Amino acid sequence: MKHNKLHDTLLVAPGYLIYTIFMIIPLGMCFFYSFTNWDGISKKFKMIGFKNFVRLFADADFYNALKVTLIITVITVLIYNVLGVLLAVILNRKNRVCAFTKSAIFVPTVLSSVVVAFIWSYIMQTDGGVINILLGALGLSPIDFYATPLRTIVMISIIISWNGLGLFLVIYVATLNTIPTELMEAAEVDGANGVQRFFKITLPLMMPGITINSILSMAGGLKQYDHVKVITGGGPGGATQTITLLSVEKAFEYNRRGYSSAIILVLFILIVIVSALQLSITKRREVKY
Amino acid sequence: MKKLLSLIICVLLVCGTVCTAFAADETKIVFCVNIQPQLPLEFWQSIADRYMAANPDVKVEIIGNPSSNVTLPQYEKTLLATDQFPDIMVMQNPADFVPSGALLAFDEGDLDYLTDPNVGKIDGKQYVANYKKQIIGVFYNKDMFAANGIEVPQTYQEMIDASDKLLEAGIIPFSIGLKDGWPQGQLANMFAGTDLLAKDPHWGAKRNADEVKFNNPDLVKAMEKYQTICTKYAGPNITGLTYTQMLEQFFTGKAAMLPIGSWVNAEVAKAEQDFEVGWFPIPGDEDANVVSVFVNEGLSIGADTKYPEVCKDFIHFFFTDKELYGEFLKSEQLFSTTKETVEYEMIPLRKNMEEQISTMQEVEGFESMTGDDAFLPGLKDYFTNKMTQNIAIGADVASELDAFDEEWEIAKEAIDDAA
Repeated sequence: MKHNKLHDTLLVAPGYLIYTIFMIIPLGMCFFYSFTNWDGISKKFKMIGFKNFVRLFADADFYNALKVTLIITVITVLIYNVLGVLLAVILNRKNRVCAFTKSAIFVPTVLSSVVVAFIWSYIMQTDGGVINILLGALGLSPIDFYATPLRTIVMISIIISWNGLGLFLVIYVATLNTIPTELMEAAEVDGANGVQRFFKITLPLMMPGITINSILSMAGGLKQYDHVKVITGGGPGGATQTITLLSVEKAFEYNRRGYSSAIILVLFILIVIVSALQLSITKRREVKY
Repeated sequence: MKKLLSLIICVLLVCGTVCTAFAADETKIVFCVNIQPQLPLEFWQSIADRYMAANPDVKVEIIGNPSSNVTLPQYEKTLLATDQFPDIMVMQNPADFVPSGALLAFDEGDLDYLTDPNVGKIDGKQYVANYKKQIIGVFYNKDMFAANGIEVPQTYQEMIDASDKLLEAGIIPFSIGLKDGWPQGQLANMFAGTDLLAKDPHWGAKRNADEVKFNNPDLVKAMEKYQTICTKYAGPNITGLTYTQMLEQFFTGKAAMLPIGSWVNAEVAKAEQDFEVGWFPIPGDEDANVVSVFVNEGLSIGADTKYPEVCKDFIHFFFTDKELYGEFLKSEQLFSTTKETVEYEMIPLRKNMEEQISTMQEVEGFESMTGDDAFLPGLKDYFTNKMTQNIAIGADVASELDAFDEEWEIAKEAIDDAA
């Protein structure tokens, strides 16, 4: 089929236009504002060079937010990918129990993250929360999920994973279904046991799925905002604040839009670097057959 | 058929254009309101409807913060940044908006119907028609106090002794929660009022002139008292408690005292609790004679409005329609700010509060000081969302106040840079 250049250009133009308006231009504005002292509401501002970045790298709140963000990212990436692969392998069978379990895991994915966070914040209540009522009924002492920031962050990470695992499971199940059954049968004939088949055949052939899922989960973790906003609001005293939460706080509460843009720019660079690293590592492990 | 359809579309387009052109002549003002349980959208809409009924040539459109996760000032800042700033708005912290030139100053005499039209002036100009006065203090369970032989404390030490007695009886003395970010700040405001602002009501202006620091002996003492209450007498679940749960803990008799603002009278008025509720101001070292008052909230006009006179007339209408203003005051059992008395159905506790504070020294709520005493932009949020939370979970008070001084330096530098 012959390609008509004008035709092709017209077809992709809306996509490029939307991408430019909602991605390229805001990113360019963010880059520009990060070198200003704009308060977000005044009509005038000044160029202040790298002052926002100098202040940012000396800001204890930024390092705390970075730590919280990384903890959430590591936990969610591990759960999404390790548990996701294992569940996909276990549930990739055609029977009713597996079909029901897959559906049950997928259901939270269709719920809004804000709704999920509200539901869980009621479940986690120290006084009157479902978990503690059940523990009380079993004669156990209640758990204060907000007792320490670390405990709260771990709990939030588990909630995020519960909310999103279904999507990752679907991708892994789809990837598993692309593995030719002949390979498995040949390995079985050659005497390979289940563990050997998993590590020597299944896992290497699932690498394309692992690549996409690890990038999606890592970027999602680094951008985390909504669950934390609803469950703790970043408190107490910013102890559970993620980078995005910190950025919004600086922009809309402290009137420092320039500084907030610098935070977002650093986050953007961080995501690009980590994604590129991850892509190069997992791509190298992909197997062609 | 296609021709007929095209013709209909063309006619509709022409009609639409003509209507829009005529509609453009209509005087339309946008009113940004503070939607909350006691003042729902319907209440604000009823104000607009009454004004439009009296002024048929004016259309008033109501907008409000879209979610409880977005505070009104945050929403208004977003509107300003996107060139959608309203004509009239409920304003809670004008000090955040005045430096950017977003608000219109009222002229001398515009607000003569208010008791104190000068309250909260910034650089000699008034930007807010203050529509309510609220006080902060301690609501307490009278039955619980009586059952444990506790009198209303007159000094800080008596309050600590009372709290110890309650703890011994297995009762949580104070209902305080950090989860929503702001309620705990009220207790910190009270102590700052008795220990700092009572001595120097215009301390805020001195701080703004960099003549004093947040880390000073009086504020350190106030914040240490606040920390003692939060860490020893607020129960084990302070970090996980929301504002609603704080209220629930008090009104279901699980906690004896609730340090919060007079707006809680709206909850008392529901009379769902099975005990009598009392109120006292936070006591100082020697006596209980100081009360912190919030006068920071009111109605403001956007500097870029096309209809400043209509906006002023709308605000005048709000205050002088006694039925309307009375309904507004009743919603939270508020204190009026108008010269003319406005009657509404008051609960006995609200009357008792008025009697109690009539002989007391009034100081402004620390975080919401107004006019030249107001915190620099952004510092109010730092005080409530960060500093008071950190202190409540045991952070070193002096270090936190030092950090607050550093934040002040950053905010000041931003203002100087913009100038």
